[in-house]
Amino acid sequence: MSLVAEAFVTQLAATEPWPENAALYQQLKEEQILLSDNASSLAVQAFLQMCNLPVRVVCRANAEYMSPSGKVPFIHVGNQVVSELGPIVQFVKAKGHSLSDGLDEVQKAEMKAYMELVNNMLLTAELYLQWCDDVTVEEITHPRYGSPYPWPLNRILSYQKQWEVRRKMKAIGWAGKTLEQVLEDVDQCCQALSQRLGTQPYFFNKQPTELDALVFGHLFTILTTQLTTDELSEKVKNYSNLTAFCRRIEQQYFEGHDKDSSTTVAARSAKRSLLR
Amino acid sequence: MAAPMELSCWGGDWGLPSLHPESLTVMAYAKFSGAPLTVNTINNSWRAPKGDVPVLISEDIVISQPAKILNFLRKQKYNADYELSAKQGADTLAYIALLEEKLLPALLHTFWVEAENYCSVTKPWFASRIAFPLSLYLPGRMSREALNRILLTRGGPPLYSLTEVEAQIYRDAKECLNLLSKRLGTSQFFFGDTPTTLDAFVFGFLAPIYKVCFPRVQLQEHLKQLPNLCRFCDDILTCYFRLTVLGHSPAGQDTADANLQKLTQLVNKESNLIEKMDDNLRKSPQHPPRKLTTLKLAAGGEESSPLNRLSP
Repeated sequence: MSLVAEAFVTQLAATEPWPENAALYQQLKEEQILLSDNASSLAVQAFLQMCNLPVRVVCRANAEYMSPSGKVPFIHVGNQVVSELGPIVQFVKAKGHSLSDGLDEVQKAEMKAYMELVNNMLLTAELYLQWCDDVTVEEITHPRYGSPYPWPLNRILSYQKQWEVRRKMKAIGWAGKTLEQVLEDVDQCCQALSQRLGTQPYFFNKQPTELDALVFGHLFTILTTQLTTDELSEKVKNYSNLTAFCRRIEQQYFEGHDKDSSTTVAARSAKRSLLR
Repeated sequence: MAAPMELSCWGGDWGLPSLHPESLTVMAYAKFSGAPLTVNTINNSWRAPKGDVPVLISEDIVISQPAKILNFLRKQKYNADYELSAKQGADTLAYIALLEEKLLPALLHTFWVEAENYCSVTKPWFASRIAFPLSLYLPGRMSREALNRILLTRGGPPLYSLTEVEAQIYRDAKECLNLLSKRLGTSQFFFGDTPTTLDAFVFGFLAPIYKVCFPRVQLQEHLKQLPNLCRFCDDILTCYFRLTVLGHSPAGQDTADANLQKLTQLVNKESNLIEKMDDNLRKSPQHPPRKLTTLKLAAGGEESSPLNRLSP
């Protein structure tokens, strides 16, 4: 979108309040969604919960194609469709809700830097594990990714997506990495996050910010998703303050909403098993 | 003690030791941590190493990526980070990720993808440093790789068009520069008074943007509006890189002063010469007054006062 169009949309966004029927679209929860997409979706849900904005989760098999940028999740609010956490945060800010207003300039710079760290390392590691590690690809990703579609479409779609992701890995230099090196990177990233969090309840002390939502989304998904090996979740479990952090956010923002049409994230994730 | 270490990387121009951001990062880190590296710039010979640049060769070990090279240097006890706390170490990782995600696409675009910049500056420069006939092929390949990287990390499938992405990546890069400037504030380096890994990376990314003269320079103009980042780059260049530029003299600063003195003397001599010429011209009768006015404009401020009496 060009700059002028974006400014126009922001203007429009600012005039209307948050509607009751806002929807968040993602892929099918039980059969189709993958680790990285689930993490991103959970991050957005956590962020909206923290802002106290109601949203219902709608699961569609073709969510990826409906999204304006090709990535899930995306939210449908009033007349607008916004995808990915970064633009959603800006969109919500245009409507007057923001979690990071109380931070000073240096803290905002730090927050953005840590969000990029999570995107750069954790998200890329998740994508690597899902699409470049042959065992996981065979046993989990291929069956899940195309499951709503009939043969041969399911195979074609998953091979196409795999080719795309592998191209991207090659361009950023991750294609030459082995799984051990990727897990090392994940460990480094978790160590950095753990050191930054320290003993505080949230990353910027008293109030949660979008960084907390993003970290929660990724770490919680890693901890509760069963893959072919447990090495990834073991790396996260090494840091007790991170697991305590995830539990705290889950209790505060997700368990109080049992009456929603979608059951709590925690219960669903615990029931889900990705092995077939 | 340690085996001699050799670094192969791209050479420099416009006052920089290297044009390549990753090579610059490694060279800066080596200077900060005091590692004795012999730097071989890639020149017009076939002996250039294959594969990624920069490459560190120490005895039999060959290491290629900057992060790995820095790790290796740290293991050899050349560590610029030992005074950092755990949280500052975490901050380092986060800011490096920020640089790679937000600033690198725009840097690659300015150097390799922007047509005017690439054709008039980057391609001839790199081609002149690669042996023929590789010089016909390699810059093109580097350009295609840069475009690929930008499109795959920033573009949206399925069309991967560059125009939509261009505005976004420059906006992200300017925001990143603003964030770095706010983080640096008024201190000399990012974590106090001694430079660390983060300073090496930031310097590696910023210095090419700052110094290289391109026809299309929107990022450079934005950077010049952030004086503390410019001051940061200049400080590192003068303190850590001048020593090699001026030769192996231990008192680099003295040599700089001596050079400055010589320069001032030269300028004084020149202005004396100009004054003498003016006197001669004034005394000779053939020159019309019009000529004197042009002389007045061309000469400095001090010459204009004696000529004022003679202007028409």
